Formats: sequence, structure tokens, C-alpha cells
Amino acid sequence: MTPIGTDEWVAEAEQRRQGDSGPLAPLRRGLMRVPPVGRLALLVAGAGLLPVLSDSTFVVRVGLNALLFALLALGLNVVVGYAGLLDLGFIAFYGMGAYTYALLSSDQLGLHWPTELAILTAVLATVVLGYLLGLPSRRLLGDYLAIVTLFFGQAFVQLVTNVDRLPLPGGRTLDLTGGPNGITGVDQFRLGMLHLRTVQDYYWLLIVVFALAAVVFFNADNSRTGRAWRAVREDPLAAGALTIPVNRLKLLAFAVGAGTAGLAGTVFAAVQLGVFPANFTVTLLIMVYAAVVLGGTGSIPGVVLGAAVISVVPEILRDPDLSRFLFYGVMVSTLMVLLRPWRVLAAVLVATVAFGFAIRGLVDWVWPGELIEAGGGGGKVADALGSWVVMTPGNVLVINLAFVALIAAVLTLTTLRPAVRHIGLPAVLYLSAFVWENRLVTDPSITRQLLLGVILVVMMNVRPHGLLGEPRVEIT
Amino acid sequence: MSLFLQLLINGVTLGSVYALIALGYSMVYGILKLLNFAHGEVYMIGAFIGYGVLTAVGGPAAPVVPVWLLVIGMVVVAMLGSGVLGVIIERFAYRPLRNSPRIAPLISALGVSFFLQASALLLFTARIRSYDTTEFISLGTGVDIGPARISLVRLLAIGTAVTLMVALTVLVRQTKLGRAMRATAHDREAAAMMGVDVDRVIVATFFIGSALAGAAGVMVGLVFGRIFHLMGFVAGLKGFTAAVVGGIGNIPGAMLGGLLIGLGEALAAGYISSTFTDLIVFGLLIAVMLLRPRGLLGTPAVDKV
Amino acid sequence: MKSSPRQSLGVLVLVVVAVAASACGGGESTSTDDATAVPADTDVAMTAEEPAGPTSTEAAAASSAMASPTATGAASGAAVDCGGAVGVMGPFTGDAASIGQEQLNWATFALDRFNTDNGTDFTLAEGDTQLDPAQATTVAQQFISDQEIIGVVGPAGSQEVEAIGPIFDGALAFVSPSATSTDLTDGSIEGFFRVVPRDDVQGPTDAEYMISELDAGNVLIIDDQTSYSTGLADSVAQTLQDSDVTVDTDSVNQDQTDFSSLVSAIGDDVDVVFLPWQIAANAQVFAQQMTEQGKQATIFGSDGLFSPDDFTADGAYVSSFAPDIRGIPEDEELVTAYTEEYGEFGTFGPPVYAAMQAVLTAATTTCEEGEPSRDAVLAALPETSIDNSILGGTLTFDSSGDIEGADFFIFQIQDGEYTLVQ
Repeated sequence: MTPIGTDEWVAEAEQRRQGDSGPLAPLRRGLMRVPPVGRLALLVAGAGLLPVLSDSTFVVRVGLNALLFALLALGLNVVVGYAGLLDLGFIAFYGMGAYTYALLSSDQLGLHWPTELAILTAVLATVVLGYLLGLPSRRLLGDYLAIVTLFFGQAFVQLVTNVDRLPLPGGRTLDLTGGPNGITGVDQFRLGMLHLRTVQDYYWLLIVVFALAAVVFFNADNSRTGRAWRAVREDPLAAGALTIPVNRLKLLAFAVGAGTAGLAGTVFAAVQLGVFPANFTVTLLIMVYAAVVLGGTGSIPGVVLGAAVISVVPEILRDPDLSRFLFYGVMVSTLMVLLRPWRVLAAVLVATVAFGFAIRGLVDWVWPGELIEAGGGGGKVADALGSWVVMTPGNVLVINLAFVALIAAVLTLTTLRPAVRHIGLPAVLYLSAFVWENRLVTDPSITRQLLLGVILVVMMNVRPHGLLGEPRVEIT
Repeated sequence: MSLFLQLLINGVTLGSVYALIALGYSMVYGILKLLNFAHGEVYMIGAFIGYGVLTAVGGPAAPVVPVWLLVIGMVVVAMLGSGVLGVIIERFAYRPLRNSPRIAPLISALGVSFFLQASALLLFTARIRSYDTTEFISLGTGVDIGPARISLVRLLAIGTAVTLMVALTVLVRQTKLGRAMRATAHDREAAAMMGVDVDRVIVATFFIGSALAGAAGVMVGLVFGRIFHLMGFVAGLKGFTAAVVGGIGNIPGAMLGGLLIGLGEALAAGYISSTFTDLIVFGLLIAVMLLRPRGLLGTPAVDKV
Repeated sequence: MKSSPRQSLGVLVLVVVAVAASACGGGESTSTDDATAVPADTDVAMTAEEPAGPTSTEAAAASSAMASPTATGAASGAAVDCGGAVGVMGPFTGDAASIGQEQLNWATFALDRFNTDNGTDFTLAEGDTQLDPAQATTVAQQFISDQEIIGVVGPAGSQEVEAIGPIFDGALAFVSPSATSTDLTDGSIEGFFRVVPRDDVQGPTDAEYMISELDAGNVLIIDDQTSYSTGLADSVAQTLQDSDVTVDTDSVNQDQTDFSSLVSAIGDDVDVVFLPWQIAANAQVFAQQMTEQGKQATIFGSDGLFSPDDFTADGAYVSSFAPDIRGIPEDEELVTAYTEEYGEFGTFGPPVYAAMQAVLTAATTTCEEGEPSRDAVLAALPETSIDNSILGGTLTFDSSGDIEGADFFIFQIQDGEYTLVQ
């Protein structure tokens, strides 16, 4: 390990970009050659095709979630990516927008404001809240800001869960937020003549909103303000010395991010026809952060890609068959990328198959009749797997041990020399198939979480600056 | 007065748990400037290891070893297990990211956290387990302090925490490893130039920090009885807060912060309402942060070196 | 540089196929329109088109067949060709996973037993909601898009029922095993049924028992900030206050580790502490800390605490909408079979069995006339009647979707034993 100095690192930037390798490199280079307007057009066209291609409302719903996610990620990107502020209370703004809209457009307070006015008020309220939360950022640095904002997010959820019995003068109580039951019966959007009713309607609306936001943020990034943000991010002290108004820029970033989240929140409230405290938990915050970092902090196409991955992959993993398909697909494709030349790949695959049949035969011979065919009814793939993988679904202890052994084996493999690794690979592959077929496939809900964790760790290890992000060093 | 004393006891018990967790956060942060968000999960695994030991020696109702040995065994095994887990996490999730943007290890830590939670759900199922401490340490035994009583389990927990903290302080102040740790925390590159094996110091830090979290897990199991796969999140958050309040990176600060948060929670729940405990603690945090942006015992900010 | 374009292309194709496959994820099992939507995809995508449910459920069915060797023989007896998928939604991960996993186990268990007993071929599709209404709406959309699914068991939380009501909108019947909020069955949500009684049945029963039998003059109510808990707390507080009982309230967070300071603050004049909590293990900690600090007040728990394995506080009272199913002779075999396969259980599991049974029974009655459909299940559910239901007695629904003749029983705990006292 030879640590290199910052100057050298910066000097090599161009060289590194040209040497950008990895399976997605051509895609990345190709994408970067398309002008920004073209990129946006491509994306909007792609997103617009979805409801045309599929009339399943679930697919559109997942698309809608992805767009909401992308909008949130765009907002967070301003705070974290441009201005470099670790804001862990971001989801509270999303909740604030949703709750404000819900309060102004439901029977909770008996108010039914016109949609435009309600949205405007909700966004303004979140902007103000964002500004207020940004105030400590003038004094607090980095991780101290992180903890204050994180607690703010927690406090928001606790507050809306509990202000359903506010004591009023006169012994009466006011139910402001509905407590854990939330606010239901929220009005749908009526924008002018348009009454948005179905998921599709909101999907179209979100495409428009998203495109507008992307354009605005893209231009902001390339404006005076955007450059100033970057200066603040890289070195607040130097930026201040150059007469850049550091504090005002930080507050601006907070307010803009909050407003975007608030806007997304109003749409969310209208789609869900209600708001509940459980909608705005830390889990969601983590997912949005993951989307931003996975895609590449500071890069608009990056965070959009990240949002798509983070919101679509868990939905794929809901379905046992699709997740099995994804699992083996990713496994084989990873091997294709990692194992070169093709001879090695072929050898490992053949060895894995042979190893499997050998183990299967051995187990059959030692404990005859103990095995059960794999998940039948799953078609050719499942049948094939069933005659290859040892199935012992009831044997919790063995499966748990295998699971732990698998983690240990995979971790060990990554530390070995390639030649040795290739020898161990077939056994590990077989072990992972065993664990998958016996345990993971029967518990899709847990598997989802497990794989999400793995994806985050692996992605950060492989590309710490995200899929489409620019590598950069931080000057400390 | 009796209520106040009782709340004080409750607060100190809770605070010593928070302090142990905060120490891990603080030590790692001091050396790597890394927020180890998976720390709460290490604590959770520690609690489960303690439960495993308890079950292995015959369960709470009929342990085959004397109670004092059982408790020591649980704490020691959990500390070793958690320590090793911490080292593994560092080796595979953080070390490759040491020269990356600061947020990358943060996400990697969240990934580890998800993974460990889901693994615990898979291995131990979602059932809430109980140490059933009352089966082997009677609730009735304890020391009376005026009108309030401090039970044996609580004494045990506080005692363990204090012992561990004293040991840690001695280690950091007096030993060669401690000196290397302080040097690394002060300036990693300079320490490396002076011949300190930085990698070894980092591994040691992770081991010690995680071991303390493991001990905290067992203590929570013993005193509060209830362990489950998601217990790490809230505890981790509180530990993190404690570390920040005390001045992150500062070891006595973490202890002080933990104690303060514990006491704050106890007094808030006892005198005001348990509904808004977290909000009150949040208020406390904001106040400390605004008065002393670097935490209570944190060194004043040096903006540029 | 070193990465050959061909390999990269391979990865790309895989990613594209995966995304495309996900696009048909909604109707993965059947909907032909979806299949035509992605015509370009080759056999790889077709693999993903295989029915969704069977893989997981048949493995489970197989495992249950292993547990009871006679099962296969019995199955061939009935000749009715009857099948379809039942969607099960619940908090299988997240904060309430301990409840959700128990519910999922009971759902699988109920489905397997029904299939072997009746020779039917129903399958199960699970949807994890994490008790988050937003996730519940996504799952609901997935279920409604999947034409295989003829009925739904779940969701667990009242707020989730509120959220998904407009999505199902009377097109798909859903039977909740645990949503008790009173206004869910006021007619605003179509196609909704539940096998547990409303809060306004349990609340007054508990409150009246506190007044008449426990002579409570001062009651402390502590809710756990969930929709289940606040509903009950309000209902009990209302009845108590109507009888001039002094009521104080406080609340805790479900994830809280320590209740000792709240316990310290309990005054000596408090007669009864009412805990309408979801997680019985929490109440056990609370009770122990009361003993530790020498507090004399009686603990009264709602049905969430009815869990002989987790909650054993001496002298405490617990209400339950069913007599303990471990005490019903007809259920003995059932309880043994379940415990053998899945281990111990609390209060949230058995209602899932009843809910699953109701959906499947409704679906089966329509089998004579052909394949079960959503409409058929919707039409049959109000007429469905299950004799000797797991919850005791005959299970039928009234016109608003509530369970008929719901009564609450009250138990006292002595030395870990639950004794029926009312």
C-alpha cells in the first residue's frame, strides 16, 4: 500500500478517467458523451414508456415509487452532494410536506384548500423548517451536524406520533396528527381542470415534476451558486477567504433540499390518500442516502440511477422466483467479470456442477431418503437445481451453520491469492446455492434485507464514489 | 427524595450501558474519523452471544456453573465474540475504503448493519428472547440506599461498566498500545512515520470498542431481560449521541456523555412524561451543541492545520 | 482498457433482462398482457414467468408432509380441483417482526393443513409491509395486479387497512387477523373483514372488570404509541372516566429498553396499571421492574399480552377474545402440530389460522361451479361459517365484516398459569 499525495492524485485525474474500467465503463463513457438535454430526454422517454408497456398497476406503482425516490435523492443531493452537509434529518422534510398537505386537504382540521395553494403552503413550510434546521450548521461541523439532524428526524416522527391529544384551554383536546393512526381521507390533486385519480395520473405528474427539478438543479450546479457550493464543500475556510458567503450558501442548500423533499411529500400524501408516522422512518432515510451515494454523490444522472436501483431491486426481491433468477444471474455475471480467461470460468463452473453432484450423491448414499426435491413446480430451473442441491428444509441447525460458514468462506475467499481462490470457489458456490435454496428462498422478506446490505457493502468496496460519480479526494 | 434517588439509580444503570457503547463509537472516530454505524449491531450480537452462553450452560433456571462464574463467562465470551466481529467488519467493510470520500464507509456501515440485522433475524428468528435473570439472581437481593433500593443485578452491571472503563483508561494511558493509539488518533501519518503500526492499532481499537459494546449487550440482557434483532438501532443512536455530547473522539467524554444521557432519560421519564423522553434528550443535545459545538470535553475546534 | 466489450455487454444484457423481468413482476404468475409487454425477452425471462407461489409454498407443503406422514394419502381422497393463491401481508421484518413472523408461520400452517385436508391446491404469496402503510400500498398493488390471488389475509395494522382500502376498493376481499380499530368496519372500506373483535368490545369489558372486580379507583394507562394501543387506551379511559375513576395516562416507545424510571414514577395510590401493549415481552420487563421497586399496583394487560411464554407476571390480569386455545380439547392436535413445526406462539398467530380458514373455505365453496375467483370469494365470505373454529365456537361475519358474537375473556396469571376468571 503506497499512499499517494493529494497533488499527485489530482494530477492523475484525467489519466484515471480514461483508464476508467469495469463492466459499466462503456455505459458510463457512452452516457457522458450524450449532452445533458439528451440524457434527460432519454430518461423521460424511458420512464414514459413504462405505463405504455405494462398495464399492471403494480409496475406503475413501483415506477412511481422510483420517481418519488429520485426526487428525494435530487433534493438530498443538493445538501450532501453539492454543499457537502451531512443532513440526517432529511426525511422529516418529506414528512413535513406530506403532513402539511394532509392537514390542509382533509377532514382532520376540516380544511380543503385548493390543491395549488395547499402544495405551495406545504413547500413553503418545509423550506422554512429546512432553514431553521440549517441554522445550527453555521456552527456545527460535519458529524456534529449529522447527530443533531438525525435526532431532529427522530423527533419529528415522535412528535407526529404523539400530538394527537394536545390539551386545549377549556379541557378539550385537539387531535392534530391522528397519532399512530395518521391522517386518512386526504384529497387527491385537482390542478386546474385536471383531477388526478389513478396511480398512472400521478406517475405522469411526477415525470413532469422530476424533469423540471432535474433541469433546475442541473443549471444550479453549473451556475455561480453551484460553483460556490462546491467551494464550500471542498474547503469552507478557503471559500470564506474568497468572500463566498459560506453560511448563507449552507442555509440555501438546506432550504432547497427541504423544499424538494416537501414537494415530494405532498405528492406522496395524495397518492397514498393518507399520511402515517410509520411512513417517515430512518429506514427510508437510509435508503435515500444509499441511492445518492450508490449512484454517485453530486452527479444528477448518478443519483437518478441510484434511486432506480434502490427502489426497484427490493421489489424484484419480493418475488421468490425473480429473486432466485437475480441471485444466480448476478452470481454468474460476477464470475464472468472476475474470472479470466474464459478457460478459468469454464473450469470453475464445471467443477461447481461436478462438486454439487458428488456431494448430492454422497449425502444420498449416507442418509438415503432424507432429501426432498427442491421447490418443484418452479419449472426447469428449479427442477434442475432440485437434483443438484441437497435439500433439507427442516434441518434448522444445519442450515444456520451453513449460513454462517458461507459468510466466513466468502470473506476468506476475498483475501486469498487468485490461484487458491479458484480452487475454493466451487465449494463456496455450492454452499451459497445450498443456503439459498434451503433457507433464503423460503423467506423472501428477510432475504431482501440481507441482499440489500450485501449490495451496499460490495458497491462501496468496488466503487466508493458511486456508479456514475467522479472520483475525488477529500482534503482534510 | 426517594423518587429522585430511585431515578438516579435507574439513570446511572442506563447511563453506564450507553457509556460502554459510546466508547466504541468514540474510539473508532478518534482514530479513523469514521462513524461506525454498525456498532449498534455489534452490541446486539453481543447480547445474543451472552444468551447463547446462558443456554449452553443449562439455561437460566438450572445453570450448571455458579452464578458468578456464569456472569463472568457471559461477559467475557460476548466481549471476545463481539471484538472479533468488530475486527472482521473493519477488515472487510472499512479498510478497503480508508482513502475514499468520507460518506462511502458510512454507507458501507449501514450495509453491514442491515446485513447483521437480517442475519440475526434469520439465525435467531424474530422471537424476543429473555435472559430471565430473576431465575438465577433474585430481584429481592440488593443494597438499600435510604428509601431507595439498588438491586444486585444493577450493582453488577454498574460494577462491570466501571471496571471496564478503568481498565480502558489504564490501557490508553499506561501501555505501549495505548500510546500508539493516542499517537494515531492525533495524527495518523505522523504516527506511521514514527514507526507505529497503524493497521495494528486500528484493529486493536476495533477489537476493544466492539468488545465493550458486547459487554454492554450482556448487561442489557441481564438488567432489562429483553433481547431482539433490532435492539441495536436505538441503543446505537443513544450511544452515538452520548459520544457526541461528551466530545466525539474523547474517551472520558464518552463516559460522561453516556451518564448524562442516561440520567436525562431517567429524570425526564420520572418527572415529566415518558412519551417525549427522546424529545427532551434531543433538547439537551441541542443545548450542549450550541453552547459547546465540540461536545463537553471535546478539544476546541482547530479549523485548519 | 482490459475489460473486453463483450463481457461488459453480457452484464448489460443481464441487467436489462432483470429489469424487464421485474417489469412483469407484478403479474408474474399469470397476466398474459404483461408477457406480451416484453415480447423481445427470450427464454431467460420466461423462466421468471413461472408461477410465483408454488416454489416457496410447495417446499413448505413438502416439509409439513414430512411432519405428518399420512398427509399424501388423505389428499387423494377429495377430487375437487380447486386452487388459487392467497396473499398474506404482515410485518415480516422490521420493528414488529416478532408478530409478523408468527403470523406468517400460522398462515403457512393453516394453508398446508387446509390443502391436505381438502385435497385443494391453494398457494401462498407473501408481502412484507414492515407495518408501514406505504409498503402496504405497494404490496396491495402487487396483489391486485396478480390475477392468481383470489383473497388476502392481512394486513396486521389498522392504519395499513386504512391505507390499502382504496386500492382493493371492493375488488379483492381481505381478512385482517389483528386490526382492531373501531371505525374500520363503519362501512367506509369495502371487502374488509376481520376475525378479531373491535376495540370498543375489549375496552369496556376490561374497564368494567377493573371497576367491579378490582375496585379500581385510580388507574394508570400506558400505551405503546401504536395504533392498536392508543385505540384501546382511549376506549378504556372513556369507560373508566364515565364511572368517575381517576385516570392518568403516559406512553412508551415499543423499542424502549428500560421502563424503570416510568415505574419509579407510579404513585402509591395507583390501583391498576393498564398496559394495552403489542409486545408481551415488554410487559414482562415492566412487571419485573415493578417487583424490583416494590410497586403494589395490579397489572392489567390487553390481548396483546396474552402470551403464556412471554408474559408470566404473578397476579396480573390479561384479557383475550378467545378462550386459551391451548385449553380447547378440539384444538389440542392443532396446537401440538404447530408447536412441533414452528415452536411457541403468542396471541397474534391463531387468528391468522381462522382468517386463512375463512378465505379458503369461501374459495372452496365456489369450486363446484368452477375455478374460484375474487368475486366469488367476496360473495361467499359473508355467508361463510366455520364450525369449531380455532378461536372456539362458530365463526361467522356480520354484515359490516366484523366477527359475530365476539366476547372477551379475562384471565389471571398465577405461577405462570393462566386461569379463566371471567
